[in-house]
This record gives sequence, C-alpha cells and structure tokens, in this order.
Amino acid sequence: MTGTLATTLAPEIGLFVLAVVVLLIGVIQRGDQKRVVGWITGIGLLGVLGSTLRLVEGGSVGDGMFVNDGLAIFAKQLLLGAGVISILGSLTLGHASFSRRSAEYHFALLASLLGMMALVSARDLLLFFVAFELMSIPLYVLTGFLKRDEATSEAALKFFLVGTVSAAFIVYGISFIYGVTGSTAIDTIPRALAEGQPLTWLGMGLMLVGLAFKIAAFPFHMWVPDVYEAATTPFVAWLAVAPKAAGFVAIIRLYVAGSSASDTWLPVIVALAGVTTVAGNLMAIPQRNIKRLLAYSGVAHIGYMLIGLAALSDSGVAMVLFYLVAYLFGNMGAFMVVEAVARSERSEGIDAYAGLAQRSPLLALAMLIFLLSLGGIPFVAGFWAKLYLFLAAAEKGLYGLVFLGAVLTVVALYYYLLVARRMYIDAPVCSDRVRVPGLLGAAIATCAAGVVGIGVYPAPWVDLVKRVASALF
Amino acid sequence: MMADVTALALVALLLPAVSFLILAVVVPLRRLGRPAAYVSLLCAGGALAAAALAWRGAAERSRLVWDWIPAEAGPLATIGVLVDHDSTSMLLLVALVAFLVQLYSIGYLSDELPYALGRYYTYQSLFAFSMMALVLAPNFVQLFIAWELVGLSSYLLIGFWYHKPAAARAAVKAFWTTKLGDVGLLIGIVMLWRHTGTFDLTELQAMVNSGTVAAAGLSVMTFCIYLGAVGKSAQFPLHIWLPDAMEGPTPVSALIHAATMVTAGVYLLHRTSWLFALTPEVLAIVVWIGALTALLAAVLACVQDDIKRVLAYSTVSQLGYMMAAIGAGFSAAGFFHLLTHGLFKALLFLGAGAVIHAVGSNDLSRMGGLVKRMPQTAVLFIIGSLALAGIPFFGGFLSKEDVLGTVWEGGHVVPFAILMLVAFLTAFYMFRVVFLAFFGAEALVAHAHAAAASSADHASAHGAGHGPGSHGSDGHAAGGHGIPHDPPAVMRLPLWILAVLSTMTGAYVTVSGPELFLGHLEHEPTSPAWLMPAAVAVAGAGIALAWLTYQRAVLDAERLASSMGVLRTAALAKFWMDDAFEAVYYRVFLGFSRMVGWLDRYIVDGVLNVVSEWTVVGGDKLRAMQTGRAQDYVVAVGAGLLAMLIWIGWGR
Repeated sequence: MTGTLATTLAPEIGLFVLAVVVLLIGVIQRGDQKRVVGWITGIGLLGVLGSTLRLVEGGSVGDGMFVNDGLAIFAKQLLLGAGVISILGSLTLGHASFSRRSAEYHFALLASLLGMMALVSARDLLLFFVAFELMSIPLYVLTGFLKRDEATSEAALKFFLVGTVSAAFIVYGISFIYGVTGSTAIDTIPRALAEGQPLTWLGMGLMLVGLAFKIAAFPFHMWVPDVYEAATTPFVAWLAVAPKAAGFVAIIRLYVAGSSASDTWLPVIVALAGVTTVAGNLMAIPQRNIKRLLAYSGVAHIGYMLIGLAALSDSGVAMVLFYLVAYLFGNMGAFMVVEAVARSERSEGIDAYAGLAQRSPLLALAMLIFLLSLGGIPFVAGFWAKLYLFLAAAEKGLYGLVFLGAVLTVVALYYYLLVARRMYIDAPVCSDRVRVPGLLGAAIATCAAGVVGIGVYPAPWVDLVKRVASALF
Repeated sequence: MMADVTALALVALLLPAVSFLILAVVVPLRRLGRPAAYVSLLCAGGALAAAALAWRGAAERSRLVWDWIPAEAGPLATIGVLVDHDSTSMLLLVALVAFLVQLYSIGYLSDELPYALGRYYTYQSLFAFSMMALVLAPNFVQLFIAWELVGLSSYLLIGFWYHKPAAARAAVKAFWTTKLGDVGLLIGIVMLWRHTGTFDLTELQAMVNSGTVAAAGLSVMTFCIYLGAVGKSAQFPLHIWLPDAMEGPTPVSALIHAATMVTAGVYLLHRTSWLFALTPEVLAIVVWIGALTALLAAVLACVQDDIKRVLAYSTVSQLGYMMAAIGAGFSAAGFFHLLTHGLFKALLFLGAGAVIHAVGSNDLSRMGGLVKRMPQTAVLFIIGSLALAGIPFFGGFLSKEDVLGTVWEGGHVVPFAILMLVAFLTAFYMFRVVFLAFFGAEALVAHAHAAAASSADHASAHGAGHGPGSHGSDGHAAGGHGIPHDPPAVMRLPLWILAVLSTMTGAYVTVSGPELFLGHLEHEPTSPAWLMPAAVAVAGAGIALAWLTYQRAVLDAERLASSMGVLRTAALAKFWMDDAFEAVYYRVFLGFSRMVGWLDRYIVDGVLNVVSEWTVVGGDKLRAMQTGRAQDYVVAVGAGLLAMLIWIGWGR
C-alpha cells in the first residue's frame, strides 16, 4: 500500500518545519533563547512522535527509495523518544554559550534527527549516503558546541576527522556496488551478492566499516570516549543511543534482513561482536571518569547487540531491537544522573559519587537501577534484553559467543558495582543534598519508569519487536 | 459476570500493592505513623470488600492472565488471577484477617514510635499483596514468587522488633528453615515443567485429567513440591521455626503464623490435589507426617507456659490435621478445616494479644482470674477455645469431624487413632490455658508492680527500642493504673467480628454442611455414624480433665505431669528437635561451610584472582591504544578495515 507523499513523510516534514522554526527564532530573538527554543523543540518532537503513530506500514515514496516498514517506524519512534528525553535533560543546562546559541544547538540536533529518520527508511544507496551525512555532520557540530573549551574542540575535530574517513569508506563502497549492479537500489544487492562478484563483497565490506564506526564497534570506537567526555552530557546521552540505533537498523537492512542474510557475513559479525564485547568491557575497568566508563561500557553493549545480530535470524533481530529499547532507558538514565551529579559537584569523577545514597537516596537509587539494568540483573529491563539476546544466539548454535558474553557480563558488573559501592558504602564527603532541577528529574524518572516497567512486564515490548522483526524475513 | 469476578479479584490483589508502594516510596507519609496506618487500612478494607464480592460471584473457574515472559513456544510464564471457589474463599479469609489484624494493630501498637508504625504497615501491605498473589496464582511461577515474597514479609514482621536479639534470631531461623523447603518446591516445579512443558495450573490439570502425564518419576516431583509445603506449613521436622516466630508482634502471629501464611502449604497441596492423586505413595507420607506432626505439637502444647507458644504449637498441630486429611485423599476436608481454623485461631491469637497487652507478659503463671478484669476477652477466648476443641455449633466442629472422617475412610487406622488422641489433647491444653489465665486466683495484683521490671519478652521488646520517651512496659498495665482491663474498642471490635463469624459459620455448617465454602462437592466424606459422638466425647473428656486439674485441683497438675515420665522430659526438651537441628547446623552444616570456605578462599579465589588480574591488566593494555591522537584513530580504522576484508575473503 502506497500512501500519499504527505502522509508517508509526515514525521519528516514536521521535523523539517520544526527545525526551520527553531532556526528562525534563533535569528529573530536575541539574548537568552534557551527556554523558549528548548520548549518548542521538546513539544514539537512530542508532536512528531505522535504523528509516527499514524504512519501506515508499507507506505513508500519515490519509487521505493523511501519505505516505511515496521522496522523503520519502530526505529523512528525510538529515535524521537530518545530526542525528547535528551531535550528534557538539556532544558536546564546552565552554560552561558548554551543560552546564547540555544537555537543553533537545537537546530543541529533536529537536523541530525532528520538524517537518522531518513536513514532508517532509505532503500536507495544515494539517499542512504545523504541521510548518513545529514545525521553525522550535525553531530560533529554538537560535539564542539562549547567552542571556547579546548578539550571539546579537540574532541570534535577528532570525531570529524575519523568520521569523515569512515564516510569516505562508505561512499567508496557504494561506488563499487553501483559499478557492479548499475543501480543504487538496495534491493539489487542480494542478487549481486549471489552472483559472487568479488567487487560487491569489497563494496559491502567498505560500507560495513563506515557503519561500524557509527555504532562504535571495536576497533572503530576510538572517538567514543573522547567525545563523550568532552561534549555536554544530555547530548551525549542521545549520541550514545540514537546514531547507534540508526546504524543498527542500517546494518540489519543491508546485511541481515531477508535474502541478504547470507552466512558469509557470519564470521565478520561474530568477530566484531567478540572483540567489541571483550575490548569494551576490559577498557571500562580502569576508568576513573564516569562518562568514559559509560563510553566504554557502551562499546561493550554494542558488542552484545552484535552477538544478537550474529544469529542472523528474526528472533536475533527482534532481541537486538528489544536490547536497544532497554539500552535507551538504562543508558540515557545513567547519563542524566551523571549530569545531575556533575552539575552540583562540578566533577565527573567516580569519586563524586561517594556516599550519594546518604545525600540523595532517590538519585542514588535511580542510578543503581540504571547500572543494574546495564549490568543485566533481574528484574530490570537489561536482564531480559541480555537473556533474550543470548537465547537467540544460542538457538543458532553460537555457544562460544554466548559464553563469552555471559562471562564478560560478570566483568561488567564489577565496574558497574564499583560505582554502586561508591554510592552506598563509602562515606560522603559532604552531606548536603544534590539539587536536581525538575525537568532533569523528570527525564531521570522517565528512564527509571521505563527500565523498571520493562523489567517487571516485558511481554508487550517483546511482542512488538517480534512482530517488527518477523516482517523482515 | 465472569469478567467481573476476575476483575474484583484483581482489585483485591492490587489494592495492598498500591498501599505498599505508597508507603514504601512516600517516605514522609510513612514516618508519620498513624496516617500511614490509615492508608494501609483503607486499602485493606477495599480489598476485603472486593474479595467478598468476588467470593459471592465466583461460580465456575475463570481466569485473567497476561503473558509475562514470552518465549518461542508459548509464554514461559504468565501473570494474572485464577478465580474459582477455592481461591476466592481463601482470598476472602486472607483479606478479612488482614483487615482485622491491621485494625487491631492500631490499638496494639499504639505505643510504637511513628516511624516504626509506618514500617509495620508497609510490611503488612506487602504481606497482604504477596499472600493474595499466592492465592490467586494461575501458574507455578507466580505462585513461587509470591511464596518467596510471603516468606520475606514474614521474616520482616517476625523481626519487627529487630533490636531484640531473640526476635532477630527467630526471624533468621524462620527464613532459613522455610527456605529449606522452598528449595524442594523450586526443584519440584522445575522438574514438573521439564516433565510436562507447562507451569500453568489449568493446563496441567487438563493434562492430568486427560491422562497425558506420564506417571514415571512423578512421585519425586510431588514429593519435592510437598517439601515446600512442609517448610511453610511447619510440618515435622521443619516445624521448629513456628514457635520461635512468636517473637514477632502478636497481631502478626495471628495473621501470618496462624491464619494465612502457614496454611499456604496446605493450600498448595489442595490446589494441586489432582496431581498428588497420581502419586498415592507420596500421599501416604503426607498422612503419616501430618498425624505425627499433630501429635508431637499437641504434646508440646501441653507443657508450654507461654500463652503464645501454646497457640503456636496448637497451630502446628492443626496444620498436621489439615495435611492428614489431604494425604487421605480428600483435600477439600483439609481446606475446609483451614478456613474455619483461620477464623478461630486468629481470634485466639488476638485474644491472647489482648491479655498480653493488659498483663504485660506472655507467662501463664502471671495471669489468673482475669475473667473478672477482662470479661469480654474471657468470653471471646473461650469461644475460640470451644471452636478449636471441636464442640458442636462452634467454628471448628464440622471441619474437624470431616478431617477425622476422611482419614478413617481412607483406611488409615493408625493415623486416625493418633488424630483422635490429638483431639483429646487439643481440648485439654486449650482449657488448661483458659483455666490458668482466666479463672483461679488472681495472680496479678502483686504482679502489676513487677511488670514494670518484667523480663518477659513482650515487655522488654517495648522497653528496649524506645528509649526514654516511651512506657517501660507494655501499655496500660505498668504505665497506667496497674489493673488490667478489656482492650480498647479498636482492638475489641476485630475480636468480636471474628468470634461472631467463626460461631456463625460453625453453626451454619453444623446444620447445613460445608457447601457455602467449598461449592458443591462431588462426594461428601461419609464418616461413620459413631464418629461424631466419639469425637465430641473425646473433646469433652479433654476439657473435663483440664477442669479437674487446673480448676478444681482434684488432680494435681504436677503429679499428672510426672506420671508421664520420660514423655514429659522429652516434651520439655521439645523432643530434642531444635537441639538436633542446632547440632546438625553447627557440626555438619558449618563444618561443610568451613570446608567450602577454605576451597573458595584458596582454590577458587586463587584462580579468580589470577583471571581478574589478567582482566585488569588487559584493560590497561588495551587502554594504551587510546593515545588521544587522531592519526592513530584513523590507523585503527584502516587496520580494522584490512582485517575485516581479509576475514571476509578468507571466509568465502
């Protein structure tokens, strides 16, 4: 069923209009913009999120260049939801430059979001690459947003340099594929693969590097800790989830779904999953900065999701999507707590968490819940995510990967619980409460509700992702 | 109508959960004490109303379930409510006693500090929710989770006065002893799942009815499930925790350790009686253990001087009764006795609580002649005792007859004889308490002063935790005018309600049979005609002996006791069961622990230390890659690309 242009593209059009409005306000209004722009962006995103609920599965535009299938709609809702939570967190940011250039920040964020939304629907390599760049370039800008801060600028520059190289690999890969198939349509790739033309494999391999960079799989992850440490935390919370979700959807489409689910990709994905899980978890251990710790643990989570992908099956894909939801709430929640603590303590060191449970018991409890979810303890969301993921991989006989993942879960618990120990066992340095602004508190509460809600009653989410994934095979 | 009933049951289940969440999360409310109690009470009242309506409406089995843990081949676990005659009857009992106990506690715990009172009601709400979730469980998974939650809230409530060492110890003892059975239950459930492929009770029953459950190995599973019931329902030899659990506040004993939680094992066996029917050899064990437990506990109850311990052993003994009926193959009789027992035993405990509250001691020798001071309490306690003794028209009469008849019909002659003896002992020890506490010489006038310095556990419990701000002893006896009197209305009302309900149901079923509670039964237990007069005569004889011994002193209590010889010594030593467990615990268990501890410390930890050392070193090594220089990052990307292409090429 093909909807009209307007109904199929409603969220994207809405997002575009929103971005233009935000930009215009930035031009017109001088002085303190952050409040009004932030509110407009947040409410606008909620509206766009609402409009995705009315999308019809299967609607397409431009001769099938842009298709809204179940996976695309699911991913769009995930991306927009993460956007709303991030905006909630950034509404109370206090930097001077943030108030002055708030419209810039929100415009870049909306532009990147628009790129992601197009990316998850793209069925044409050209649109795919344009969307990929539309997603990536604003991210570099956002990373370097506090331009007077040296570390921030350095991180942004590194991110940009390495990111551009990766984008070059993608476009290089696309050129090979176009050379072989004579078409930019993604649908033609499986046939070309089946013909066994080596240049197709080369092209796909090059593209995988670009995507692996975006999801930050080892050894393409090196931008992650630097960027996370330097950029503003509410943005990082979103950066840690949204581009990775978009990247995973792209990988699922190109390498896993349907007839492209070729066993040839199996060794590559298995290898990526293995090294990423190991490296991410091991490198998280020596970290003393909570954002770097979460950065490396994020790399480890990408490794876990790759384990699910390696199953190359519908249940594997379904559980990756489920993992993304659990990761969204757990990870964003943890970053929001980091923001709250950093704002009152002026420190992002793990030491700042000493005795947090005595100072702000609810904040500490929220952090504990997020860490337990990331660690995979019952009954919070992360437990089911890991369990189902491992089950899906085990179904396909990937026992080695599952074993590796399970062992490394223990390692992960070690560094997560180090933070928990700081909060609950160590004595606080000072005894005053950590003041949490209301909106940031709302973001934390939303994430906590998500983590606990899914943890206690995962069934509706599992059914949803299964439905989405089974349509792909 | 069907949907209405399940919805009502769901409301009854969720109201205590709401109350628990409110009290757990809204800390300032909890710290206020009284308002927290009102929130909990309000929810308990609503749950009671919903449960009563559900009970009235329940006709046939209906369920409301959601997938909870989806899996490839159908959901692994569901959550929801399974509503039928049995579950709503039990739900009503739980809701009723929970509500009345919460009401009573407002008076009983009036001297507690606000934050402690708030904590108490938080636990109470958690318990009510867990117990109802257990009762309504449509499958073994929810049942087991609720089973453990019930154990947890029991632990928390026994240890409510945690500053009192005996209470803390009792809480731990109860937790571990029941846990021993729980392990069995868990194993049984999982084995059964491997055997049949389902956790769902309705599905299982359908499979059993259609004969598709293979009998091979089934008895091991039912035995393991029975082990769970042994722990929770205090069957020999795991009965040792229940008397110690009396260290908790008396209303808690009434609710958890008399009317509801301890009967969970009986309920479980009744709920799965169709499964147990396939394994007659396990049922034979159930009958014998039940009868043995009943006898053992009844003998022990005769020698206790602590009023709560008498009631505790009496509970153990009655649980044995219920189990015996289930083992004899007619579980409805056991379940029926569970329901009537729940009412009158809660009455007895709350009555005992009123006495303890007034006297400031648990010790029978400090009571005496209380009938003049607390006439209402005396009447109520006697009503409860008559019900327990099984006198016609009182609560426990018909249900006890049913149990005895069932065991006789089942052809278990020796257990039947034991249970008859227990019926005699039951009447004797209950009226021993009645005569010692309420009649005879007044032991109190002298005692009123002593109570302030009393070392009796209840009083010290109050004294220890409160510091200077509170009464030195319990309530009115020491703090006020020194003369005990009937409890305040808020405590009296629940007692009267229980007494009236217990007697009304007793009279009703005496006349018209147990259909009201059990629905229409396929086959009534057909007890022989001589049974009823015999049982009543035995009970009467017990009462008469107690009267002769403790009221008229025709028989000397001391001589009567010593004529029992070695039996008495054994009973005073609780048949050495606690000692045996302690010895096993200290010698075998701790010895084993020490060995495992050594292995763990030097072998396992050694290996782990090496591995974790490698892990940390590995992390450091890998971290060295993170040079911070962009050109190195690009090199890494390039190297990754190369590795990947080689890997793809090699794989093809």
